[in-house]
Amino acid sequence: MRFPVATTRNWFAKNRFDDTAAPGRRSAITRMLAATALLATTALSGLTFATGTARAEDEIRIGVIYPLTGAAASTGVELKAAAELAAAIVNKEIPAPAGLVAGVGMPHMKGAKIKLVFGDHQGNPQVGATEAERLITSEKVTALTGAYFSNVTATASQVAERYGVPFLNGESSSATLTQRKFKWFFRTTPHDDLFVTNFFTFLNDMEKKTGEQLRSVGLFNENTLWGNETTKLQTKLSEEQKFTIAEKILYPAKTTQMTSEVQRLKAANPAVIMQSSYLGDAILSMKTYKELGFLPKMLLANDAGFNDSEFLKTMGKDGEYIISREVWALDQAERNPLIKQVNDLMRERSGVNFNGNSARAFTGIAVLADAIDRAGSTKPEDIRKALQETNIPASGLIMPWKGVKFDEHGQNELGQGIIVQVQGGQYVTVWPFDVATKPVVYPMPAWDKR
Amino acid sequence: MSERTIPTPVKAFGALALLALAALLPLVVTEPSQQNFLILILMGAQLGVAWNIVGGYAGQVSLGHAVFYGIGAYTSTMLLLTLGLSPWVGALAGGGVSVLFALAMGWPCFRLKGHYFAMATIAVAEIVQILVTNSEFLEGAVGLSLPMDQSGWGVLIFLSKLPYYYVILGLLVLTVLTAWAIERSHIGYYFRAIKDEPEAARALGVSLTRYKLIALSVSAFLTALGGSFYAQKEMFIDPGSVLAGAISIKIALIAILGGVGTLLGPVLGAAVLITIEEYSRTLFGSTGSGTDMIIYAAMIILVAVFSPSGVLGLLGDLRRFLPGARSKGPDMADKMEIRP
Amino acid sequence: MTADILFQVLVSGLLIGLIYALVAVGLTLIFGVMDIVNFAHGEFLMLGMYASFWAFALFAVDPIVALPFTALLLFAVGVIVYQTVIRRILKAPMLSQIFATFGLMILLRGLAQFFWKPDHRLIPHSLVSGNLTLGSVQFGLPQFVAALGAVGVTGGLWYFLHRTRLGTALEATAIDREAATLMGIDGQKMFALAWGIGAACAGIAGGLIATFFPIFPEVGANFILIAFVVVVLGGFGSVTGAFLAGIIVGLIEVLGGFLVGPEYKTAIVLSLLLVVLLVRPRGLMGKA
Repeated sequence: MRFPVATTRNWFAKNRFDDTAAPGRRSAITRMLAATALLATTALSGLTFATGTARAEDEIRIGVIYPLTGAAASTGVELKAAAELAAAIVNKEIPAPAGLVAGVGMPHMKGAKIKLVFGDHQGNPQVGATEAERLITSEKVTALTGAYFSNVTATASQVAERYGVPFLNGESSSATLTQRKFKWFFRTTPHDDLFVTNFFTFLNDMEKKTGEQLRSVGLFNENTLWGNETTKLQTKLSEEQKFTIAEKILYPAKTTQMTSEVQRLKAANPAVIMQSSYLGDAILSMKTYKELGFLPKMLLANDAGFNDSEFLKTMGKDGEYIISREVWALDQAERNPLIKQVNDLMRERSGVNFNGNSARAFTGIAVLADAIDRAGSTKPEDIRKALQETNIPASGLIMPWKGVKFDEHGQNELGQGIIVQVQGGQYVTVWPFDVATKPVVYPMPAWDKR
Repeated sequence: MSERTIPTPVKAFGALALLALAALLPLVVTEPSQQNFLILILMGAQLGVAWNIVGGYAGQVSLGHAVFYGIGAYTSTMLLLTLGLSPWVGALAGGGVSVLFALAMGWPCFRLKGHYFAMATIAVAEIVQILVTNSEFLEGAVGLSLPMDQSGWGVLIFLSKLPYYYVILGLLVLTVLTAWAIERSHIGYYFRAIKDEPEAARALGVSLTRYKLIALSVSAFLTALGGSFYAQKEMFIDPGSVLAGAISIKIALIAILGGVGTLLGPVLGAAVLITIEEYSRTLFGSTGSGTDMIIYAAMIILVAVFSPSGVLGLLGDLRRFLPGARSKGPDMADKMEIRP
Repeated sequence: MTADILFQVLVSGLLIGLIYALVAVGLTLIFGVMDIVNFAHGEFLMLGMYASFWAFALFAVDPIVALPFTALLLFAVGVIVYQTVIRRILKAPMLSQIFATFGLMILLRGLAQFFWKPDHRLIPHSLVSGNLTLGSVQFGLPQFVAALGAVGVTGGLWYFLHRTRLGTALEATAIDREAATLMGIDGQKMFALAWGIGAACAGIAGGLIATFFPIFPEVGANFILIAFVVVVLGGFGSVTGAFLAGIIVGLIEVLGGFLVGPEYKTAIVLSLLLVVLLVRPRGLMGKA
């Protein structure tokens, strides 16, 4: 079927991209050229602005990539504050607590200062990679750190690997990150493998202690990389250790209601819920538990949302008695005075205590600064060598770890997890039993008996 | 009218000059992050031009193009990972799968009009994202990583940015040529007929659904190629990075910003949008106070309010104020007007 | 599955469905009057939530008590948005309008983060906290009150549109702007009014949801997709349609999530939308 000529003509006349009615075409091309020129000028002037910033010789630039806008911005801002505190200590802007290993004052680098250059990845892996590239090639950073989200850490560290720039990750827990056998990737935090194993060891210990069966578990994890990997590990370990999975739920993050999820959990009624949630979901799920009158004997949370500074502030007594895996707790100050000293500095600067995330971000910068100082140079190869030789004792850290020492894939082999419980508005260490400051409250008291 | 008709050689020369400029640009812009920035613009431009075929020419507003992008990225990556198939072939396969999907989706959805059609495309894209997120076979939310130990033209993985630049430039040229060919052919007239006077076109015996399906298929094929390119460049894909609703919106934004239904408008739109995006983030994003979002959004609103026909239209408006431009006859901006 | 559980699931679904309807009525009203899809509607909701939060945090005013104030404030926001942005794009093509409200969405999120930080906030206790138990069925009092609010707002809106002079004028503008103008109705004023009322509805929704939902700059993103689904399912522009569709979506989402698996709950709702659209291309109660 073809158009009669006259009709087609009509459209000819109407349309701008048509040859006979040509006014559009030339102008389109001229406009394109003009626009390109205009843009190129702005863009390049922008670029020069970015690259042309004067840089003191004695300045060591470290690229830091966090989610500073978007859904995880609150965590990102917290991490940023911790990283800045670490930099201030390294640069001696505030007196460093004795014993802290953080390359304070950079004695082997003639007292050079470190400068953190922040990038915002918005929770998007591609933006993470773009930022990594920009920080390396245009901001000329010596090393990179970040990025909290495991999938962003994956792409950003890939860029660092290509350029041969050290990438020290302090707070992403996906086990796969260090299975990639990268040459330039180092991670101080323990990963999910260890955390999930801890859960099961803890449950075994609790069974011995209470004499009760805790063999039926409900897996309740959010449906991104982190929740997925956690679910896989939990399923594997449940089978190996003869736990039964009463219910397995992967829920979509950014949800408006969790009643269907909680209904399913309630119907399956497991003794223990193992939950991985970011902050918004953690709050919403707790509210829904209460609303639907659901209470497992034990709620084992996988850090993140449950350990965010905001969580207890917003949940109040409804947040009590949650048990969560952690990498840091303020009460560990009883065993390591450094924790309290550094935490006081944090409180002074930003008005909040450390939490697991920010303490790890702080430690990431500290370990990196120490390595750069020991390297005595900003050459990537030297820093990498220094990182490989890292051997920080437990006493030089604010973490409840045995120290920092990287294996051949860049994973810190001395990291360990602890398990905390919310008691009286505080996160107190309850496991391993030998470092615990309080006994576990078990089972969880009913919602109305608190 | 006739004295303003530009002879074909002049147009060809202009186009070639533009292409030569683009081809030579990396010689001036040598820093990898700046080259990366240019690549992002070309990627956005390619997607915008591809979207324009269905969203601009045929006037069928899709807000679910991420689905084709994701199909492209996932198909080529899966073929590479499981069968070791070169992404050159994989990308074509991805385009093929994408076309099949477009036909299956378009057949029922093209009964819907205006906002209903747009919402249906959003729904389809969201459903696919949810299914892929929960698919064991596609590694779900964990995503797929491309092997880092190989590189070269066979596997289309490179250590430097330059080859990526030329590959995406080539893809953009291919996409623009396709759009240009469509624009000039009778199919293009039918598309515009469908957009402007659907009832008249139907009365004249044009099968609306058939030509809408052609528009969507071509657009889907080209978008899928863009998705495969993304996978090759970033070497990691997951549902959030290639199937998210935000990608669909961004693709449409690029075309709208540049000027819907114009051949090169989306290229300009990509240049503007990506520049705003990258610079607002680079310069203000590190504060963590949302300033970059505010600036980005303010720019978008300003363009929408002051130049509904896109930046290309805005430049047309500016031309009117240049000396001598006034005598050139009908208002350019009128010609740039787009229809709902 | 026992009858108890089924009943519980249905009640939860009904409550959340009414809340969806509450979020969606304002959106559909704006569309009905002027054919513009407001992508920033979720952000109006967010502003409503923040207004309640600050009323509570600064002046210890309960969100329920503050509702009239929240509604008024958001009415003003709606009118301001109309006067500064929307009025200028009335004649622009649909795509530019989408573009503008999309920009507005990002802008409001950015401003919220700028002024109020990206933190999650919660109103720890309000007049309506706690649970209700009906036989074996449990539900939250805040959700119940919000659901009542949805019924009230939809009813009020319906009454306004069909039984008052101003409302009828608004309806007239929606049906035929030219004719309405000839009848002496000021179209501009009507459009501004639609935006004000639409935003005020989102404000009331925000105030009610704030009693049980965390408040943060991106919270609108959680609700907007579902709100769109409700609007389309009900038929663009139909307030009663949105009310009905909200309940359907809530029930299907909770029931589907419970039976099939929570990871697919949104997919189930979206599939339902597609199926309904294929049978009724204008939604349940959309105007032809």
